[in-house]
Amino acid sequence: MRSLLIRCYPARWRDRYGDEFAAILDERQLGPFDVADILLGALDAQLRLRGRGTNIAQGRGLSMSLRIGGIAAIVGAALLAVATFLGYGLVAVDSAIPYVLLFSGLAFLLVALAGLSAFQARVHPGLTWAAFAITAVGTIAGIVGFAAMSVVDGDLAWTVWFLGVLTALVGSALFAIATYRTAALSRGGAVLLGIGSVLPFIGLTGVSVQGLLLAAVTCFLLGWFALGIQAIRLDRPATATRAA
Amino acid sequence: MEPKVPAFGRFAEPSLLILVSLSDGPKHGYAIMQDVEHGTGRPMGAGTLYAALARLEEQGLIEPLPPIDRRRPYRLTAVGASNLTEQLRGLSEFAQMGLRQLGETES
Repeated sequence: MRSLLIRCYPARWRDRYGDEFAAILDERQLGPFDVADILLGALDAQLRLRGRGTNIAQGRGLSMSLRIGGIAAIVGAALLAVATFLGYGLVAVDSAIPYVLLFSGLAFLLVALAGLSAFQARVHPGLTWAAFAITAVGTIAGIVGFAAMSVVDGDLAWTVWFLGVLTALVGSALFAIATYRTAALSRGGAVLLGIGSVLPFIGLTGVSVQGLLLAAVTCFLLGWFALGIQAIRLDRPATATRAA
Repeated sequence: MEPKVPAFGRFAEPSLLILVSLSDGPKHGYAIMQDVEHGTGRPMGAGTLYAALARLEEQGLIEPLPPIDRRRPYRLTAVGASNLTEQLRGLSEFAQMGLRQLGETES
């Protein structure tokens, strides 16, 4: 009787689930409810198995995005923290090292932004991808402008750098809002990231910027750290198997 | 926009029960059935269980672990944990709205 019921399922389904399904049926006394339920399940499997596979790839892709985004966020924030520390000149190093760390850190944060956006875009796709695009364009423009300043004279390179930084900050603030609203990752991290992205704009009003920028960078990096740690914790399922 | 909860049709409720059952650690099919029956007071048939398990696995919300004898444990993925949180949060908001409306009707 049991093997007959299992044979109602498609061969591909039996290859995947047959053994464990048979083990369950062996542990139960089958009544009319069970037989009807299994027959309906077999009918469902027959009807549904066509076109299987794309959804599996989608789910695994999301998990991979989360993992890559989390690691990149932590590495990027760490590199930027070291670059900031060295940039203050407290330790004597080659003057190129802080810049290398700065650009590497920004590259990692762009990867983190892409990974975490892909994970979060299931809920607010428009806001999430707009935040990603604005931040990416701003960051790249900022890097190009900064590199150009060391090669050419004039205001154009500085303007490109300045507008790039402002654009990246706006995008970063939008990403913080998307993260807070999605609530899949740390909301505290999103708040810190948002504060870190908005504080520099207060500097544009003419107030003393030194302490303000330090607070902004601190909040910004702590926000990315928190989001990265939360992403990795989310991607690490429980490992203990409960006994039956 | 993709819905917060994947379209599981008539397997939506069993899928949610399975996700909740796996939220405290990996379990194999028979343990999930016992867990659901203990939690809801209603039995879940093996056909329903595996129809829902297959959908959850396809969506990447759960993943299989290596089998122990003929039993294969399943566990929540990160996406599954996030999805379960969203579903439970939505249910909680819905329940609060219902209770609020009920309170307004009674008062």
